[in-house]
Amino acid sequence: MHNLIETAKQQVDQAELYWNRAHTISVRYENGRLQQIAENDLSSVALRIIDGGKMGSTFAVSPDQPGLIEQAKAAAAHGDPATFSFAPAAEYPSVDGYDPATGRLTSDELVALAESALEAIRSRRSDLSLLADAELEHRELAIETTEGAKGSFETSDISLSFGAPIKGAGMGVYKWRGAVSPFARPDELIDEFIEWYGWTEKISTPSTGRLPVIFAPDAAFLYLLPLWAGIEGSAIEKKTSPLVDRIGEQILSERLTIIDDPTAPGELGARPFDDEGVPCQRRALIENGILNGYLLDRRTASALGQTSTGNAVKRELFGSGTETKPNPWPIRITIDPGETSYRKLIDDLDEGLLIYYGMGFHSGNYPQGQFAVQAIGFHIKGGDVVGRLDKTMVSANIYEDFRRIRAVSAERGPSLAFLNSTTPYVLVDSLQVAGA
Amino acid sequence: MKDELARIVTGLDADYADIRFEENRKTRVAYRGEELEEVASYATSGGHARAYAGGGKAIASFSDPAQAARIAKSVAASARIVGAKRDKPLRLAEAPPIRESFPLKPLKDPRTIPLREKLDLAAHYNEMILREPSVLTTETHYDEFLSNRVFVNTEGSVIIYDLLVVNIVGTIVTKAKGVVQRVRFAFGGDADYTRVLDRDEELKERIEFARQLPHAEPAKAGLYPVILDPSEAGLFIHEAFGHLSEADGLQNNPAFRERLQLGTPLAKPLLNVTDDPALPGLPGTYEIDDEGVRGAKTRLITEGILTGRMHSRETAAEFGEPLSGNMRAVDAHFTPLVRMSNIFIESGESSFDKMVASIEDGYYLVGAKGGQTSGDQFTFGAQWGYRIENGRLGPMVRDINMSGELFSTLEAISMIGNELAFAERGGCGKGGPQQLNRKSGKGAPHIKIDRVTIGGV
Repeated sequence: MHNLIETAKQQVDQAELYWNRAHTISVRYENGRLQQIAENDLSSVALRIIDGGKMGSTFAVSPDQPGLIEQAKAAAAHGDPATFSFAPAAEYPSVDGYDPATGRLTSDELVALAESALEAIRSRRSDLSLLADAELEHRELAIETTEGAKGSFETSDISLSFGAPIKGAGMGVYKWRGAVSPFARPDELIDEFIEWYGWTEKISTPSTGRLPVIFAPDAAFLYLLPLWAGIEGSAIEKKTSPLVDRIGEQILSERLTIIDDPTAPGELGARPFDDEGVPCQRRALIENGILNGYLLDRRTASALGQTSTGNAVKRELFGSGTETKPNPWPIRITIDPGETSYRKLIDDLDEGLLIYYGMGFHSGNYPQGQFAVQAIGFHIKGGDVVGRLDKTMVSANIYEDFRRIRAVSAERGPSLAFLNSTTPYVLVDSLQVAGA
Repeated sequence: MKDELARIVTGLDADYADIRFEENRKTRVAYRGEELEEVASYATSGGHARAYAGGGKAIASFSDPAQAARIAKSVAASARIVGAKRDKPLRLAEAPPIRESFPLKPLKDPRTIPLREKLDLAAHYNEMILREPSVLTTETHYDEFLSNRVFVNTEGSVIIYDLLVVNIVGTIVTKAKGVVQRVRFAFGGDADYTRVLDRDEELKERIEFARQLPHAEPAKAGLYPVILDPSEAGLFIHEAFGHLSEADGLQNNPAFRERLQLGTPLAKPLLNVTDDPALPGLPGTYEIDDEGVRGAKTRLITEGILTGRMHSRETAAEFGEPLSGNMRAVDAHFTPLVRMSNIFIESGESSFDKMVASIEDGYYLVGAKGGQTSGDQFTFGAQWGYRIENGRLGPMVRDINMSGELFSTLEAISMIGNELAFAERGGCGKGGPQQLNRKSGKGAPHIKIDRVTIGGV
């Protein structure tokens, strides 16, 4: 791939080169009008080395930038002894995440996709202040280490999001669809948007106390992020997680099987190896509610005397990119579907909530499994959606409340809120609900 | 570089165009517990081009300066595509061309300090925390960001300016009786290295709060009168109100635009809110924005009345309001957005004691812990709090957050303290793709709000 690794072999103990190149085009509509076209052409490099037994890193625009190894050596001179080594050679699975048809699209096709969706909505609701974004990305990631790991892969993705703010409220209803290959106007998603928007036009205040709550796929992050914080390697290593030494124990409802599925061919976000060049693998994190394993990168694996699970990702809760150091993250979460339709989940509720977002997640004590958020969603009464929630707080501890799950739906939906996830609607037996 | 960029923009087929090119240097040291997780010091660079043509707008970020001419041309063509689709052309407010350099002159310049010294300083604070027996782990970071920027536009502006932020920030994680809690600290936030030195006393106080916090009881959910400390009040005014005063978010949101016309009464006359990039030594301090406009002080709320908002050239033209110089980008990967500089609630007249004495049954919330807003809805955490009972501060509480609706909450501000304090760490997320802006300051005195929803157990 690049002679930087060859050069590094002569000068340092070990080296790892990460090189990301991305070309993106996006078009944005605000208040129903095309607002701007944006195009990015970006390259970024991370180089980590171990020199004299110590770890140092540096970053640059391209591997050709002069002085990279020297900069990394200067950082390593001050570093602590390295506690792990870089990835060895490995076989990588094929994930087929690139479609040249997406790569060939221009802003004209993105404009056409966004406009077709907006037109379809306008023909049914001409009164909304519509927003839409259509984006495509063509990305190429290459990783090489002096220890033998060497790989590169290309991905393409195209996505469309659209929605509108709710009149007289701070919230909106937004829908998102993304894929590796170009797709036609998502009519089912537009139907769902029209129905959900219709539900927002009346405020309905639920009873205070414990009520059943349905989590739409868009809201899955509310329980998946506390779970992530509990199973990621650093929290296990530092013993801040409530899940230390609990592999094999029932921690959630038996109705939940949560899988990290990074290698599903042709799926958005699929990848053959992680951000340290370790092969990705399909793995159940939670199997019928039983904790099956932790998420490890090379650093945390070494600290725990285990091997990396291929979950090193250059991201933090609020930040990602080449300059972020790798941390253990799930790559593509899926939750196994159930047998009940999501309509029936609603029909069967005397009173409850359907939520699709929660505000203020990160202010809570989520590393301990808790969240207390302002719930964005709908009030259900007598089996019907009777209006939208307003000033309604929902709080939970997933290790208590998500042990009692009544049902998960047969339908599944995608979300990119904090995590790449594909999940069913999940009906939790009861959560604490408080109104203003 | 600047002459080449100026030549590129002037040759474009556009009504207006600009290019910003940046050379950025970052230094990062990260401790987690006893482990030094990262030492990095490095340079990156990149550019960003914008064009307005035929009533439309387009933008692009690029890494390779050799591609600047090709990309600028493509941006101008894309802007015309946008313009052709619009019934309402985008315009820019007039701004005088500027040909000037804005170098930084910090009291003690971090650029002159060896990496070893920075690392030792972070290690010193980290070790102080680790000596407390109830500490489970720490996160202690030294963060330095230097950006040398060149800005040119088709109107003849050629501007050279620097941004520099130094911070030592971290989290103290403590555990007792099975309860894990986190308390944050932040020193610096400005270009001046002296601000991160000699902060042992303040850190000791934070460690003591962190030691006590797991022993506290969780807050009880409900509606209460509350006092917010300057950190939490600064977060409230930044998140809940400040973002709605950024005109780019309002521009295409008819409902809020209608609700937030200048001259609208929003609060009792005791409330004054200002955005000011010229206040020295704060995270959001700067002279020139990333659109070549000088940063200006804006009175956002004057005696309870909405009197101003923050603008780009585009939104100033759209609203027919004065330029404020608030258009800023985190780095060359991003386009500038309208961002607060240093937003703050001005000092009032009440003493803290008097505020506590006025509450029979409520809470005192201390220490911003992140928040989120959507339109007029907000939720904020506090690192800890205290019960207030019968006019006296009671026991410490943990796991406390507040939520509500902006307009009714602004109206419910009934007392304002007499000691204004600013946060030392900026961190404001906005935009898609998200830009986390460290050059963002916020401040407030203590404030009393008569009615807020407290979340808890």
